Amino acid sequence: MFPIIDLGPFAIQTSGLSLLISLVIGFWLTGKFALNLGTAGDVIENGIFYALLAGIAAARIGFFLQNPSLFTEAPLSLISIMPTMLEPGFGVLVGGLTAFIYAQKQQIPLWPTFDTLTPLMIFLYAGTHIADLAVGDNFGLPTTFPWGIRLWNEVRHPVQLYAILLVIILLTWLIVHTRGLKFTGFLRSGILFHVILASLGGITLLTRAFVAQKNLIGRIDIPQIIALIIMVIALAAIHTLNFKRRQRIEVMISLGSNQDPAQNLANAINEIKKKFRVRLASSQYRTESVKDGYPHAPFINQVIEIETALSFSELVAQLKQIERGLGRDSKDRTSIPIDLDIITYNRDVFTDKRHQIPDPDLQNYRYIAEPLAEIAPNFRHPANGRSIQKILTSIEDKSQVIKCAEVENGPEK
Amino acid sequence: MNKKSFIIIASVITCAGLLWIILTPVLFPIHQAEVGPSAPHAGFPAPTFTLQTPDGSNISLGDYEGQPVLVFMWASWCSVCKATMPGLQQVYQSYQEDGFEILAVNATSQDNLVNALDYFQAQNYAFPMLLDQEGEVAKAYQLRALPTAILIRPDGLIHDVIIGSGLSQGYLTAALNHLLKGED
Repeated sequence: MFPIIDLGPFAIQTSGLSLLISLVIGFWLTGKFALNLGTAGDVIENGIFYALLAGIAAARIGFFLQNPSLFTEAPLSLISIMPTMLEPGFGVLVGGLTAFIYAQKQQIPLWPTFDTLTPLMIFLYAGTHIADLAVGDNFGLPTTFPWGIRLWNEVRHPVQLYAILLVIILLTWLIVHTRGLKFTGFLRSGILFHVILASLGGITLLTRAFVAQKNLIGRIDIPQIIALIIMVIALAAIHTLNFKRRQRIEVMISLGSNQDPAQNLANAINEIKKKFRVRLASSQYRTESVKDGYPHAPFINQVIEIETALSFSELVAQLKQIERGLGRDSKDRTSIPIDLDIITYNRDVFTDKRHQIPDPDLQNYRYIAEPLAEIAPNFRHPANGRSIQKILTSIEDKSQVIKCAEVENGPEK
Repeated sequence: MNKKSFIIIASVITCAGLLWIILTPVLFPIHQAEVGPSAPHAGFPAPTFTLQTPDGSNISLGDYEGQPVLVFMWASWCSVCKATMPGLQQVYQSYQEDGFEILAVNATSQDNLVNALDYFQAQNYAFPMLLDQEGEVAKAYQLRALPTAILIRPDGLIHDVIIGSGLSQGYLTAALNHLLKGED
């Protein structure tokens, strides 16, 4: 096909170039996605980088372990920069393990991180098929269809193009669904990743049928079986993540009031206790008003942890009802009898029509972070894994948050 | 989407996938051709050729049936080619007695024959130099860049095509060890 691109005096290997370009674009888009999702972009980017380095080194070492005579016959080849003498399987294994260990050490959460990696997955998949097309690997079966391409002395299915076309459709869907990689939409953390994984499995399953060089056991192509297994596992994971009935979802709620706060906060907690089990309640904190520049009375804030089986939208409706019951007028922005905001819902990361969960204010304002640190000193941000202590030290909000007297009822045991 | 419709859709997708796998060999049968057409790509029979050496004798790829052969296409203006060949010479000396042969095909149609001969003879390479005067080997092997090396298995099928600088001593040694042991 076109294994070499001649650029003046340079001859560039197209396969390496297309892999490199797809890696760079995928890496860049994943970085952008991380920024918008609030996941740990810097940790993810470092992790990819370390995984690549470790993977390439391991691929070379793996090749030497397979050919031990090289240690004596051509030991210097070990550090050769040539893109040959690589054992990809071992490289992928060690690279993946490196990323995993790094992510564990940095304590970043699994599913939101995987969601962030979806653009990179799609581009690497496309890049390998463009590389295949360039060097004529994984070529198609002979065909009489008019769109067949002449390759290796036959007119063949352009199977690499089929895969590239389908993956472009998948990428378009991802971009439309996430409004240009802005959020994961209604897809709760981890579901987006599994949708993409299932789709890539499906594309492989479909297009492998047209590939000429098979990996057969009997008459069945093994890569197709592996693709089907990956697809089924991903679908099962979507089912579990999305539909499994969860009885004890822990939810952090921030309460705030600047109108008779002592009474209103107590009333609100009583109302909440009628409907939910309140596991923990922080002290009350007096906060200068920090948002939207309206002159209004100082707020008293508190954070509680409740347990619920309600879905997110059901919970929002219940809290709104309590707010209204205590005299909240959504048009009045200066005098707030009670404000109830969901800060975290389970360990989920998602965006619905109005809410982003976890609430971005958690990382921006002391009136949420300080009480949260009191009741949950081991709290980690569900999207980026930062500890509450780290969040507190990096908050730019300079307003003073002063602890009031202990809550009357005391934190529930 | 509710739980029930998701389960239905997921089951339909899974069954369709399974059906596709089962139907693949029926819809897209592979014709196990005894010996397919030759092509310059791994897994295909190597295109055959007969070329002259500088002293006028003919060498044919077919002469080396049953032996691993490296066809190395080079030119005297190609610095990567000249950097690679001393390494080939070393591997050649170690594996010659196992039947390994190197055919250094000079892309004469793109080279200056005098320069090529001067270089090759000055280096005292032990393997033969062939002259591709009409560019027929370049055409048969779809030559895109120099050097291009084609490693051919004893059964005449191409093991690998290496374009550019990837043909290191280590790579060739490892590949020969596999080929001589009868592995892929």
